[in-house]
Amino acid sequence: MALTPLEMAAPDVTQLPDQEKEAEIAGRSPLQIALARLRSDKIAMVCSAIVLIFVLIAIFAPLIAKLFGVEVRAGDPSSDTDIFNFPVIGPPDHGFTWKAPLGLAPNTGDDNLAEWLYGARTSLGIATVSTAVSTLIGITIGLVAGFSRGWLDRVISFIIDTFLALPLLLIALALAPIITLRFADQPTTLKYAQVIALTSVLIFFGWMQLARLIRGEVLSLREREFVQAARVMGVPTRLILFKELLPNMMAPIIVSISLGLPFFVTAEAGFSYLGIGIVGVPSWGQTVNKAVEYFDTYPLYLYAPVVGIFLLVVALNLLGDAIRDAFDPKTRR
Amino acid sequence: MTESEVAPASSAAGQAPESYESAEHQSAAPPRFDRHAEAILSVTDLKKYFPVKSSGLVRRTIGHVQAVDGVSFEVRKGSALGLVGESGCGKSTTGRLITRLYDPTAGSMMFQGKDLATLSHKAMTPMRKEVQMIFQDPYSSLNPRHTVGTIVGTPLRVHNVVPDKQVLGRVRELLEVVGLNPEHYNRYPNEFSGGQRQRIGIARALALQPKLLVADEPVSALDVSIQAQVVNLLRDVQQEFNIAFLFIAHDLAVVRHFCPEIAVMYLGKIVEIGDRESVYDHAHHPYTQALLSASPDVKQAAIGGRRERIRLEGDVPSPINPPSGCRFRTRCWLAQDICAKQEPPLLQIGKSHKVACHFASELNQTPPRPVTTGLLGVDDQGNHDAGSTPTTLSTNPGYDDEWYDLKSKSFVKA
Ligand SMILES: Nc1ncnc2c1ncn2[C@@H]1O[C@H](COP(=O)(O)OP(=O)(O)OP(=O)(O)O)[C@@H](O)[C@H]1O
Ligand code: SF4
Ligand SMILES: [Mg+2]
Repeated sequence: MALTPLEMAAPDVTQLPDQEKEAEIAGRSPLQIALARLRSDKIAMVCSAIVLIFVLIAIFAPLIAKLFGVEVRAGDPSSDTDIFNFPVIGPPDHGFTWKAPLGLAPNTGDDNLAEWLYGARTSLGIATVSTAVSTLIGITIGLVAGFSRGWLDRVISFIIDTFLALPLLLIALALAPIITLRFADQPTTLKYAQVIALTSVLIFFGWMQLARLIRGEVLSLREREFVQAARVMGVPTRLILFKELLPNMMAPIIVSISLGLPFFVTAEAGFSYLGIGIVGVPSWGQTVNKAVEYFDTYPLYLYAPVVGIFLLVVALNLLGDAIRDAFDPKTRR
Repeated sequence: MTESEVAPASSAAGQAPESYESAEHQSAAPPRFDRHAEAILSVTDLKKYFPVKSSGLVRRTIGHVQAVDGVSFEVRKGSALGLVGESGCGKSTTGRLITRLYDPTAGSMMFQGKDLATLSHKAMTPMRKEVQMIFQDPYSSLNPRHTVGTIVGTPLRVHNVVPDKQVLGRVRELLEVVGLNPEHYNRYPNEFSGGQRQRIGIARALALQPKLLVADEPVSALDVSIQAQVVNLLRDVQQEFNIAFLFIAHDLAVVRHFCPEIAVMYLGKIVEIGDRESVYDHAHHPYTQALLSASPDVKQAAIGGRRERIRLEGDVPSPINPPSGCRFRTRCWLAQDICAKQEPPLLQIGKSHKVACHFASELNQTPPRPVTTGLLGVDDQGNHDAGSTPTTLSTNPGYDDEWYDLKSKSFVKA
């Protein structure tokens, strides 16, 4: 029997939209709704692209450096700099050269591009580790404080307040010479000790805000009936905290992460600029520190790390704002 | 009860398309109360005092909220006890004590030979399978970040009721039992209506096949038209799985068609408890009478012709500082001196009927003298009477075979 195309198509046409609707209604969790809103936000998309590029640079820094034929910390002051300690090739005195696309550093003759690429790696690496660890600490402490009303909650709240009152800058200032002195005779250890010390300081001062936020969320959520229901069912406290409560706090956590990242990038650069951060490993802040005095004669030296910091921080901040808006049901657009 | 008595009930309860007594339920005999049936839960002198703390650094206890202050009752196998009272009288607290969301201050809760009141939280875990709860607010009782499958499957996983692979199949069965599409297991709660959500909550409570279900105002957050459907669903599952219910409600209309036995609470105490006919047709406590008169559902002619609506004056007093003697006296139109001086005992006055009032009587038949003086060894004003000795009264949470007859003022046997 021959069917006309029309007859065959008819049931499909009525069926399809129905199925699509079903599929759309099924699995739309609040997280997915937020992601969908984020996807339609142009600024957020541009910013994530920029952040993604920086992440790729950080991950593939050695590869990119090899591509350009540059190496980190490979300068030789005697052969690469002239009697005024300025580089013998590239800017500022000579024209552009592929041998050193961003020029060489005065005094040391280190390649600026290589330093910049590895600086991105340091910057994002430290920021990511600090954010991840301080987020984990903040979540755990906030959950425990919120769920254990009574003396434990009061002790933890007191510790949070104390930490918030401590001056981050002073502690870092005090810590830097101690670390430097302690590992002065072991340069390789010193390099890592500085990175670890800086990361630790940042983590140390980075977890309180989130802990406080989470504690407040737990206090309001724990009175909700679904938590009571979980307890009536005999769900262990650990599972109540992590399976019932935590998924309801994804919004504040994601917002906190997206605002924490740019803060840590800035802080790392700032500390390194002040000379209390890391010295042994390439870092934008440290380059800025060295380049400031050459700004009149060799501006490119300063621009490279500043543009890096600026782009990354602005992109991260705008992205963080967009994420916060996407998760906030009150800012429907 | 007859058809004609039910008809006005549904019209009074609103434009309910389905009354509490829908067609399919009329064939089944309305649940009867059997005072000799075995009790599954036996609560004796249960108390919960919440400490009131001072503010400031050193937080001293400056008082106690006497949320539940010595309640005793029994819930019989496969039966239902309705717990009724105004807001703040301690109904939810009682329910949460039984499910051990709160630890009791004093008292015992015997369930299958174990005292739920003294079990450690660890020892309580296996008991949780037997005692489950349905919550009031369908919008807050389901985790918004979990799918229906996860919500209903959680109790199965926690207690390892079925192997992991069979959880989903079991969840679908449960969804079908409560009248939901079993294929909706991967949806989130926000895609369901209030009534549907309450059904999900019921499915979750049924997952462990409990013997006792505490239902804390399970329908008061729902539309009147939906209320009847959910109550009917509860009755179906009760009959199908032989579950005993502690059904909490704030008015007498909802429990009327569900519970063969009713307890009325006021300020942390049970003031009247008895089988349905005793409480609805022969209420002896002024507070019950006031609640009944405010309830549109209850037939008007039962208690001596047309009844006026009794308006209670004032608010419920604070449970931090409850009135002396009878707690209802600040709002009671019968209150006399004795009510302030002596606390009325919860006295069994019929086969299955207890009441706590010095002037216990049906409406408009108030006795001239308190009925409790002889038992308490006091005179009519409530002062101690040197000439008489107080009688030791039974503390049985159930009903005795011997009770105090109000007419003859003496104990009679069944
Ligand atoms: N966790 C708590 N801490 C202190 N006081 C409480 C607590 N829970 C309840 N109360 C108090 O105990 C009393 C009884 O509360 P409960 O919730 O049992 O009342 P209810 O009869 O269920 O009222 P409703 O009809 O409003 O639900 C109230 O006065 C309440 O303020
Ligand atoms: S004991 Fe007195 S105050 Fe209390 S209900 Fe009875 S009559 Fe009213
Ligand atoms: Mg309540």
